[in-house]
Amino acid sequence: MKLYDHPIAPNPRRVRVFLTEKGVSIPTETIDLLKGEHRTPEFLALDPLGRVPLLVLDNGACLAESVSICRYFEALHPTPCLFGEDAEAQAFIDMWQRRVELELFLPIAYAVRHGIDMFQALEPVQLADWAELSAKRANQAMIWLDRTLAERPFIAGENFSVADITAMCAFDFSLAVGGPKLPENLANLRRWRDQVSDRPSAAA
Amino acid sequence: MKLYNYANATNPRRVRMFLAEKGIEVPMVTVDLMKGEHRSAEFLARDPAGRLPLLELDDGSYLSESVAICRYFDALQPEPPLFGRNAREIAEIEMWQRRAELELYLPISNAFRHSSPAAKALQPVQVAEWAALCRERAGECMGWIDTRLKDREYLAGALFSIADITAFCALGLGTNTRTIEISGDLENLQRWRQLVGERPSAAA
Repeated sequence: MKLYDHPIAPNPRRVRVFLTEKGVSIPTETIDLLKGEHRTPEFLALDPLGRVPLLVLDNGACLAESVSICRYFEALHPTPCLFGEDAEAQAFIDMWQRRVELELFLPIAYAVRHGIDMFQALEPVQLADWAELSAKRANQAMIWLDRTLAERPFIAGENFSVADITAMCAFDFSLAVGGPKLPENLANLRRWRDQVSDRPSAAA
Repeated sequence: MKLYNYANATNPRRVRMFLAEKGIEVPMVTVDLMKGEHRSAEFLARDPAGRLPLLELDDGSYLSESVAICRYFDALQPEPPLFGRNAREIAEIEMWQRRAELELYLPISNAFRHSSPAAKALQPVQVAEWAALCRERAGECMGWIDTRLKDREYLAGALFSIADITAFCALGLGTNTRTIEISGDLENLQRWRQLVGERPSAAA
């Protein structure tokens, strides 16, 4: 098994944090996105969309999409459980993971890719209006996340889950590259971020 | 249990189609999006984000996000399997469900919301260039889905899955609103669409 990886991009990091939480270690190889290594014929032969992370299984099959790769490892190594134990927990964790992804992670990605010069390599047509609208949406998401976190330690409830990983990677990426910031006054969100950042997996 | 639903919206349709495939009947309550009923105080008390579909569980909790709702029913009633039966199937179906959602559905939905006068109520600030970029991406995505379907019956392989439901409902939104056209050259995509359209669940 081999994982194609990138040290700064947020999606590969989601998988690395997840694997660290699981205590699973697999060989990785870096694909330099800014050098366009994901657009080489060799890499496109593995995944026609040229996306990282990409997991190559022992039989040669390629699995893309960070959450799919995480689900694969969840099925192989159920403990510690990061996608929920029973029907209800699984459904609510999926709901929060999706909300965080669609309302926070994606708007941050749009704001960064369309609003920061360096990312023109990945987003040739940058739309400033879309970047601005997306940054606003990301801020709204931070406000409701802050409210949610007033009532519980982690995003989906009492336990750390894949929803927390998605959110942490979104924030860290945004702050690292100069995207939307975490407002000072959102104390619950800040408390949560400190807490998840203290976990050993945050260094992954 | 109760499902808050709107006949003419894509996300509720994904859940209705899923339930029809499972042969599960759930009482439904219509929330008229065009009349703004999802913004009423009564509905916002159930879900502060005011989204459809929304599932009210018997203990009074509320589950939102179409795929999370589908996952809940899949855990309660695994047959027929629409999210996969083992680690490999679960991961591959998740990968194609995500690609159908992120690469096809989201671009189609954004192209519609940011260009149609009818969508102005849902999307007060419309960015026309973003709509154009998304329409282009949806076109590219239909191209690679067509290639993928050349040697597979369904998106994730031999098994009809949640990925097909997402892609089918996305194309329905795109063509019903005239946001996209499906080129006659995409024979595999056309064949697949007809095949899925003949399933009884397509009428749900």
